[in-house]
Amino acid sequence: MALVHNWQLDRAMSYWYPESRPKKQFAAVFDTNKCIACQTCTLACKTTWTSGQGQEYMLWNNVESKPYGFYPLGWDVQLLERLGGQSWSGRHYEGRTIFEAAGAGERVLGWRPDELDYAYPNVGEDDSAGAELQTGAFMELPHTKWFFYLARICNHCTYPACLASCPRSSIYKRQEDGVVLIDQSRCRGYQECVRACPYKKTFFNPMTSTSEKCIGCFPKIEMGQQPQCFVNCIGKIRHVGWISRPEDARPDNPVDYLVHIRKVALPLYPQWGLEPNVYYIPPVHVPRSFLRMMFGPGVDHAIESYRKAPDDPDLVGLLSLFGSSPQIVPRWKRLGDSVIGLTEAGAEILRVPMKEPVHIRKAFDLAAGVTRTNTP
Amino acid sequence: MRLSVLSAAIGCLALLSCGGRHEKTTPEIVARGVATLPGDPEDRIWEKAPVHVATLLLQDMVEPRLLEASTTHVRIQALADGSRLAIRMSWDDSTRSDLLAPGKFGDACAVQFPVEGGADLPAPQMGEEGRPVEIAFWSAAWQALVDGRPRDIHAIYPGAKVDHYPYEAGSLEPGSSEQTAMESRYAPARAVGNPVAGPHDRPVQDLLAAGPGTLTPAERTLSDGKGRFASASWVVLVSRPLPATLAHTGRAQAAFAVWEGGNREAGARKMRTGWIPISLEEGR
Repeated sequence: MALVHNWQLDRAMSYWYPESRPKKQFAAVFDTNKCIACQTCTLACKTTWTSGQGQEYMLWNNVESKPYGFYPLGWDVQLLERLGGQSWSGRHYEGRTIFEAAGAGERVLGWRPDELDYAYPNVGEDDSAGAELQTGAFMELPHTKWFFYLARICNHCTYPACLASCPRSSIYKRQEDGVVLIDQSRCRGYQECVRACPYKKTFFNPMTSTSEKCIGCFPKIEMGQQPQCFVNCIGKIRHVGWISRPEDARPDNPVDYLVHIRKVALPLYPQWGLEPNVYYIPPVHVPRSFLRMMFGPGVDHAIESYRKAPDDPDLVGLLSLFGSSPQIVPRWKRLGDSVIGLTEAGAEILRVPMKEPVHIRKAFDLAAGVTRTNTP
Repeated sequence: MRLSVLSAAIGCLALLSCGGRHEKTTPEIVARGVATLPGDPEDRIWEKAPVHVATLLLQDMVEPRLLEASTTHVRIQALADGSRLAIRMSWDDSTRSDLLAPGKFGDACAVQFPVEGGADLPAPQMGEEGRPVEIAFWSAAWQALVDGRPRDIHAIYPGAKVDHYPYEAGSLEPGSSEQTAMESRYAPARAVGNPVAGPHDRPVQDLLAAGPGTLTPAERTLSDGKGRFASASWVVLVSRPLPATLAHTGRAQAAFAVWEGGNREAGARKMRTGWIPISLEEGR
């Protein structure tokens, strides 16, 4: 084990390999408040990458309802229970990571899902948590019942557990973009990565006897395009880009701005120690204790900042860039009421108005001779 | 009197308990010379081959380790015909595991020889850097495919309902290269020629290793084999070219490994032996 720095934990931690950060790190921000669980992302991924024999059950992208939705069954609570207490002191994590808690003979604290754990991809869908209903429900504000949608892909972690666990080094992290891949020519299907990945985003293919995972749509990334699950998101909840280390954060980098500078987007289960690179704007209506368990100690600040976004032109401006271009938008700036997405070199990719102009059309279209219907 | 005590002690050593039975064992593996090697592990010729009962050890040297013993012994016999060596391994196994699926692992075994001969042997656990070993690996899952199990998801999940695979599109002529290309597109390991992805024409694969984690397919698999499961035990025949050292000197060292799929063993999680001497013996 080597000693590496994990900024999400504000401390050093043990990892199987020495620290080796890529030149650029794939990162994404998902706004959970905008997700409607339409699963268009799931299907976009499915049809693109996992339509073959042996891939039927694989969901490299999935959207589950929290707190009762899981894919595979119990993926997070199984590990939370095994890991034990996970306390924070401010931004400093005082508990153990899954690398530090690895048992004798293991590289990672993991667990193996059973075959049937993959049989219920929509378990818990739209199931509410909150007070038990004893006498019937009535309208209360704020709502006491809650759930939210959690869209999940591979986190292309800085310290991947899948990579650490593979005894044959068949998993690697690309230097050019930080995408984590399983070498399909080298994998022998030991399923160690399936056991180790706490997010359960590696899958064993029973027809090829190798494990497979989200590839971050790297052929698209290499062309400057956003992955399939991003461009097909009709809720425009996603933004993909590159994340810097906190000390190198740039305000004109959209991911840096949201994660490091404004701190409105948070990693998923940072306490596990992988430094995951998909960041979530937490849902504003969910009990904070649940959110702190899932997104760490930055939840209160993130939600307070997000709630103030209507009075915060930079924040609301950047959020309106989400899903506005099929291209990766690595830089941005606000100019008055417009937000401009830029290339690394500063060339304009797109310009988005922060408020859509209102067009009023007459109910009857004289040119076409038809009555318009009001379909927003 | 002393001689008779010694004889009794040797006799006790030779009667090792294995799977609840007492079996005679030779102190090392003796490969008896025969005119023609059998192709089946249940050929009666195996009755002529001496049995060496090897104690299996935990793979507890490198992570991930196996910390609780599963298969305790493997019975080893060997025959040679001057150019090839046939090894018969058998072990008790209460669960037949020959389906690979998420969370499901297959039974398997392997036999290993040092690439270079001599007294200075590489580490018995996968060799070491600059001192490689050659391995013949047999898989119960591959055996099932060779024996005729269809390479189809319904062979694993008989009740599976699948709407459509892209390679079944009406625009693709069955059996055409376009259809094959479409199928490969969604089977990346097969598309890049990973031997574990199949198709499998034999249940054995030849491999090379120079230390844990370095297992690499040999350029070609020259070994072959056949496994049978009956009465709660596996009987597996692996035949391979006679190792050079064994052919030249009549003596060599071999090591063995057994994976119990029912115990979710794969890769480094296995039971294994140290180096065991093997010698050639002229036919009788």
